[in-house]
Amino acid sequence: MPPSIHPVDLIIALREKHLTPAIVFLTSRRACDEAMQAFDHSHILLPPPRQQAIATVLEKVIAQYPSIAEHPLIPTVQRIGVAAHHAGHLPSWKIAVEELMRHGCLDAVFATTTLAAGVDFPARTVIITQSSIRKSRDFMDLTIGEVQQIAGRAGRRGKDLVGFAIVTPSPYIDLNVLTKGFTGHPEAINSQFVISYPMVLNLLKAHPLDQIQPILAKSFAQFQLNQRAEVLERKLDDLRDQMEPFGPRVCTDWITEWQTFDQVRRQKSHRAPVRRHEPPELAARFHFLTPGRVVGFGRSRGVVLRQYRSKGQKSPMITALRLGGGITESPASTVTEVSDRVLDCVDAPVYPWCTPESVEELLRHLEELPGRLPELPILIPKDNEPIPDAIVQTLGDFACPTCPSRSACQRDYPFASKLRQEQHRHVKSIQALRTSLWHRFQEKIDVLQQFGYLTPASRLTDDGEWARLIRIDHSLLITELLRADAFNGADPAMLAAVMSSIAHDDDRPGAFPRVSSGLGSLLGQVRKLAVSLSPHEDPPLLRADIAAVTERWIGDPTLTWIGLCKSTTMAEGDIYRLLARTLEFLSQLRTLKGTHPGLADSASRAIAALRRGVLEELP
Amino acid sequence: MTTEELELLLVQQPIALLHRLARGRIQRHFRAGKRRLIEVLLRHSVENRAGFESDLLTLIGEQQARLVPPASQAPAARKPKPSAPQRRTTHRPVEPESHEPGVTLSSWLDGLGVPPPQTFVPDAWQEDAIAKLRESDVVVSVPTGSGKTYVAVEAARRAIAENRTVIYTSPLKALSNTKYTEFSKLFGPDQVGILTGDRRDNGQAPLLIMTTEILRNLLYDAGGGEIDVRLDTLGLVILDESQYIADPERGVVWEETIIFCPSQAKLLLLSASIGNPHDIAEWLTTIRPTPCHLIRHSTRTVPLRAGYLHPNGKLTPFFRTIGIPHGHPSHLHPEAKRLFAQYEDETLPSGRRR
Repeated sequence: MPPSIHPVDLIIALREKHLTPAIVFLTSRRACDEAMQAFDHSHILLPPPRQQAIATVLEKVIAQYPSIAEHPLIPTVQRIGVAAHHAGHLPSWKIAVEELMRHGCLDAVFATTTLAAGVDFPARTVIITQSSIRKSRDFMDLTIGEVQQIAGRAGRRGKDLVGFAIVTPSPYIDLNVLTKGFTGHPEAINSQFVISYPMVLNLLKAHPLDQIQPILAKSFAQFQLNQRAEVLERKLDDLRDQMEPFGPRVCTDWITEWQTFDQVRRQKSHRAPVRRHEPPELAARFHFLTPGRVVGFGRSRGVVLRQYRSKGQKSPMITALRLGGGITESPASTVTEVSDRVLDCVDAPVYPWCTPESVEELLRHLEELPGRLPELPILIPKDNEPIPDAIVQTLGDFACPTCPSRSACQRDYPFASKLRQEQHRHVKSIQALRTSLWHRFQEKIDVLQQFGYLTPASRLTDDGEWARLIRIDHSLLITELLRADAFNGADPAMLAAVMSSIAHDDDRPGAFPRVSSGLGSLLGQVRKLAVSLSPHEDPPLLRADIAAVTERWIGDPTLTWIGLCKSTTMAEGDIYRLLARTLEFLSQLRTLKGTHPGLADSASRAIAALRRGVLEELP
Repeated sequence: MTTEELELLLVQQPIALLHRLARGRIQRHFRAGKRRLIEVLLRHSVENRAGFESDLLTLIGEQQARLVPPASQAPAARKPKPSAPQRRTTHRPVEPESHEPGVTLSSWLDGLGVPPPQTFVPDAWQEDAIAKLRESDVVVSVPTGSGKTYVAVEAARRAIAENRTVIYTSPLKALSNTKYTEFSKLFGPDQVGILTGDRRDNGQAPLLIMTTEILRNLLYDAGGGEIDVRLDTLGLVILDESQYIADPERGVVWEETIIFCPSQAKLLLLSASIGNPHDIAEWLTTIRPTPCHLIRHSTRTVPLRAGYLHPNGKLTPFFRTIGIPHGHPSHLHPEAKRLFAQYEDETLPSGRRR
């Protein structure tokens, strides 16, 4: 059996059951394109009058948007009455497909699920082939809301009595997700409030700092945080009721009292941890028993080769070369004398811990040493005894052992302390919920003060005054670039190219035109700055290849849209979106006429150069 | 039973049964292979031979009972995939696993067709929304395709008649363009303007269409002192697709717009079905001067039916009922269930079940 139904068979089946027009949701753009290719040699042609109707509608759209006149899909659309509609297409093509759908000319549209959220064009039938959707490089199961949004496209008001949502399996479909999606109640939505730098600047422009908190409190984010806080507060009330029987007893705060007492008692009852007992003089001496040190063992004498503390031995150990050539391992306590003489010895990592030559040398030196050697004066600290745990000492201070309520305390303590811990936890969370937005806002204020957009009194500086007009993603990077005069002398093409590489957030690979060297080095600088700003703002992808696309479009006014598309593997719709977003960024820069006249001029020239051909068509 | 007999019996059993038998008797039995497991089990059985044998026999009995399917189950569907909702039903007695056959395809397809042309009569909720908008903000949360646009258009028409400016925002530029064309046809081209990031067409028209970001920027500019005439006479702000407030990247823009929306303007939030529209309404009530009115319903204007199309072209209903059984995910049509199980059997790599 094929892993999924063939597009041609699908259309035949739908036509046979009168389930057209249909929207077929497919997983990827490529799946849509392949579905369209499947009709290349099929013979399920539309009757001529309908073909004619499609041609008429298309003519009208083409008159308005000439860029789609030569669209490669047009023959298939006319012959079969099916079309593809996804983000890789130009908006004008999508408009054409929507227009055809609205006139009821098409039998099916192959679309990606992005359509479900987008344009309003219903059909009689919706075909669902997937249960997951690609969200930022990862496939996620469709939520109930999404399934209903997709299925909801079925059934046109006034044109259908019923709508049909038809599931057809393809690899990796999970029926449970879809059944749940059809029959379930849509998920609750949650606030996604993020505090951005322009938000902080704009708020502080309009309001003094002490009025900000009430404004933040008006957000849906705070509303939902408050809801959670209220739940916790109710729990807290419950806890307070439960704590009723555990009020003050003999001592007011008997839980803490008992807790400390209990802890101390437990500590006391524990076996004291095994502790090596070293007399202070030994500890003091051991410090000096370094390799090469001449020491006396009673009447004999030796040189220390190494010192170590061994787990198996109670006391610290030394390895010593004795007079006469013996090498012994002995406790440091057997050393009776520490001389002030240190002989040269070459360390080695293995027994006998120094090189054989230096053993010879040491032995010779040892024998040559005079009978009496001055002793090393070692200061022995007097009070080296570890102080017993202070709390343990005060065990006698507790009233608990003789307290009349001791047994009650002992009985209730585990439960009461659990309740109290929970109480503390809730109180802390409530505090966090109530203040987190404000704290996040303050963090942003700190950063903006650090960069000099805000005065220490949180008023806007001169830089802040213009920076607040940049209300796009990566605003901090852009304003910092402006302050660093990065675009000084950059031509409009370069400016637009950098803006588009900041704006573009898709990492789809592909082939792109070459980057000019000037743009390359400018982007290198931008990247350096973006990295240095990364603690405060996520750096953009800054793709040089993407920038090159924009640079070519602006730099070469004779370049046609087709020519631009041919220079890269990027889909038409993606190029359009890239340029449209670049336009948006540039028009924000254009608003800085007052403070950055050169830049604003450059930006308007870039906009003028950008907006031609396909980009001119749409408002 | 002699030891040899017992060993033979154990050898004949599947390893899963041996593991079940070993559970509680032998430590780390899951590490052992079959032969080793039998060896250890035999050694263990010495301690309590009678108990061991009876346990073994019970397990074998259970196994056989499971292998012989209940008479009602069709032998063709050998062990249908135990799907998650099905498993859940075992915990919920409220949902009996009825064995009534599902609807037939012909009755499912019945009713397909074009309704007779009739004059448009607005639904009660649409009238309600427009009426309520006179004195308060309104949140509308209804299924896709219920006619939210009608509410927007009528509300805009009334506001324009009162010489107030109306701002209509949508999340996508493409949607703005569609609405611009649509509204231009409805109200006349001189009545509708569009504002995008880099250009404005007919910016002084009473009905302005823009993306939500543009409106947010306008409101910020107004807050910063740059007064925009349009905001003074602003009477109505329509936020379409306002479920975007939950969008991870752009959701904050909707919140900002709503927070800074001038209090003299009425807010109309149009959203697809969401789980907690009352939260949005309650929130608006707390921050806006007038209490917010919530309009929600979940019945679709055009009823929806779910179907299943097998890759071989066979079409069946998806659920047992004609419509969608809300709240009963397990009411799958037996035929759809069987076909899908067959599909999974044939397409999934052998031995792998999801």
